[in-house]
Amino acid sequence: MKFSCSTKDIASAVGAASKVVNAHTTVPILSNVLLTAIDDTIRVRATDLELTLEHVFPAQITEPGSVTVPAKLFSGYLGNLPAGIVELAGTPTRASVKWEKSNYDFHALPADEYPPLPSSQKGTSFAIDARRFREGVNATIFAASSEEARGAVLMGTLLEIAGDKITMVATDGYRLAKWETTLARGLEDGGTAKFIVPSRALAEAARNLGSAETIEVSALGPSGNQLAFAAHNASIVVRLVDGQYPNYAQVIPASFDRSVTVNTAALIAGLKRAELVAGDRASMVKMSVSNAQLIITANSDTTGNAYEELDVEQTGDDLTIAFNARYLVEILNHIDAAQIVMEFLGPLSPAAIRPTGEATEVAHMYVLMPLRQ
Amino acid sequence: MVAHFDLDAFYASVAQLDDPSLRGKPLAISGDSRRSVVLTASYEARPFGVRSAMPLFKAKSLCPGLVVAPPNFARYKELSTRVFAIYERGARAIEALSLDEAYVEIGTDDFDEAVAYAHAVRAAIRGEIGLTASAGVASQKLVAKIASDAAKPDGLQAIAPGDERAYLAPMPVGRLWGIGPKTQTRLAQRNIATIGEIAELSDDVVFALFGRGGRAVREMARGNDTRAVEAGRETRSVSSESTFEFDVRDTEILRAIVRELSVEVSQRLGAHGLRGSTIGVKIKLSNFKITGRQTTVAVATDDPATIASAALHCLERADLDGAAVRLLGVRVASITEEPVRQISFFEP
Repeated sequence: MKFSCSTKDIASAVGAASKVVNAHTTVPILSNVLLTAIDDTIRVRATDLELTLEHVFPAQITEPGSVTVPAKLFSGYLGNLPAGIVELAGTPTRASVKWEKSNYDFHALPADEYPPLPSSQKGTSFAIDARRFREGVNATIFAASSEEARGAVLMGTLLEIAGDKITMVATDGYRLAKWETTLARGLEDGGTAKFIVPSRALAEAARNLGSAETIEVSALGPSGNQLAFAAHNASIVVRLVDGQYPNYAQVIPASFDRSVTVNTAALIAGLKRAELVAGDRASMVKMSVSNAQLIITANSDTTGNAYEELDVEQTGDDLTIAFNARYLVEILNHIDAAQIVMEFLGPLSPAAIRPTGEATEVAHMYVLMPLRQ
Repeated sequence: MVAHFDLDAFYASVAQLDDPSLRGKPLAISGDSRRSVVLTASYEARPFGVRSAMPLFKAKSLCPGLVVAPPNFARYKELSTRVFAIYERGARAIEALSLDEAYVEIGTDDFDEAVAYAHAVRAAIRGEIGLTASAGVASQKLVAKIASDAAKPDGLQAIAPGDERAYLAPMPVGRLWGIGPKTQTRLAQRNIATIGEIAELSDDVVFALFGRGGRAVREMARGNDTRAVEAGRETRSVSSESTFEFDVRDTEILRAIVRELSVEVSQRLGAHGLRGSTIGVKIKLSNFKITGRQTTVAVATDDPATIASAALHCLERADLDGAAVRLLGVRVASITEEPVRQISFFEP
């Protein structure tokens, strides 16, 4: 194979692909990216067998074909090339790269040994506005578990499709993020579908496809155990998590009997200060609501006492409830609204946190479990 | 003066205490699944070769008449608390090693009074609770512990001050703290078999054999153990280990042992009101190579299922691939006493 292309195009495609490569793989060819020259385009593919990423960019092809190159090495080389045109010639064992007076030969592995693309047999599909998708991923995946020991299901994020509505849910068992919007194109005949997607794959999809206009999402394979995210210049195929997602609707109370509405930035700042004192006590801050004031306190035998007072809008009875300040701050940091409303049922019941403001096309909420003293 | 107390075959004895029909019978305390391991064997079962950490099916094949009873940790905790209350009568400090084992610093420096205290404690444990304890009395921890091991079951051995070195001298080197099979092999190459021989070594030789801690080892061997009984000893980690009678390669058996050890660790944490967020396994292979894996959970726990699932995950990551395992341990670290708990959505 032989082609020439812009250094910027190839550096960005190989750079993105190299992030998917597992640095600790014991299968040599999985350390490589696959470059395929066909139909005036170059396809750059990387996989860790769970996740496959492919970027496409235009090139001038003199001889179609494929080559595989060590991802980190090649990406490092390309990242150090100034703008210009690069020429690449590949054989099963070598990739020769020429840029002006710089000539490099990289050891290659035979392209026909590269894992084939997952099944292209398409099942259910829908489309989502890419910017919305990026927002949803950002709003939810942080709440998923990062503990492998607790299993892949909680490390995943649930995508639940019903007709033209999508709900994304992530939880680690202590906090839950839920985000809903309308799809650019829903499922055919208003059907429903559920996918548990590894959260990391959603992060990659948002990063690589988020700047497109729409993202086409389709179930792949005869058993629909893979999901493909595709935009004009890139695609990601991920193996879905096999398992039963917890019944999240059950943990979201249907109604609450008291609430506070509070300035988001002031609440975050107060919690962060109080958490400094609470660090060695499970980051516990107590929040007391009374007389339209929210009082945040924390205390520790080793560090001292914290007291913060905020003016709030209060509805319903007074309440004292304790939270892990870090969980609460992390949730608040993912809400882009000047004011939030926190709703409660009691000191040991889940609390809901939502942005205030006009109803938009996006519904967005968090549920957080309190601390028991 | 120091006493070391150890309740005899604690779990099994509790079962025999609570259910008279189990008395005098070879008994194993164990879960009831096909993959369970023996937690404790009664003295009646031991002549058959039944030992703790042995897979239950193996124990049953060695001892066809073996009676199996399930563990009852709440009951162990209750009886242990009552036993510790008996230690209090005359103790200056108590260092709990587990539910059934403790060092007591006795509130006297008189040897005879100390022996009388140990007799009284043993009698009270038998009379008030109905269990037997073995005791060792000495001027220091190491000797007291070795003496109580030697007195088992249901015995008392007391070593008078001044006799420590002579008492230890004929003992095999393995009885000393921190001398495992690897060090024993190294010592055997130099024809050192007894504690008395270690006591005679020169500075250069102890350094060559044990490194920087060499002199401390020699002092121990000479009967000079200066470690205090630490009442409020801060717990940095809680662990439970099993050394196997025979090497284990079967993953399912290893997983069953991890589950049992996780329950034990959970009970120990619970007994002291502790929780931890770092969970790991320790694995010693038949070639004495020690390996381990650990993982961190977001919320400190004492829950047996959480500990077991994290420990099983670590076991899987250790990638043993059928290697012969000699010892398996489960450990919980990053310990907190903080009573505050994060509530989970999935709590019952």
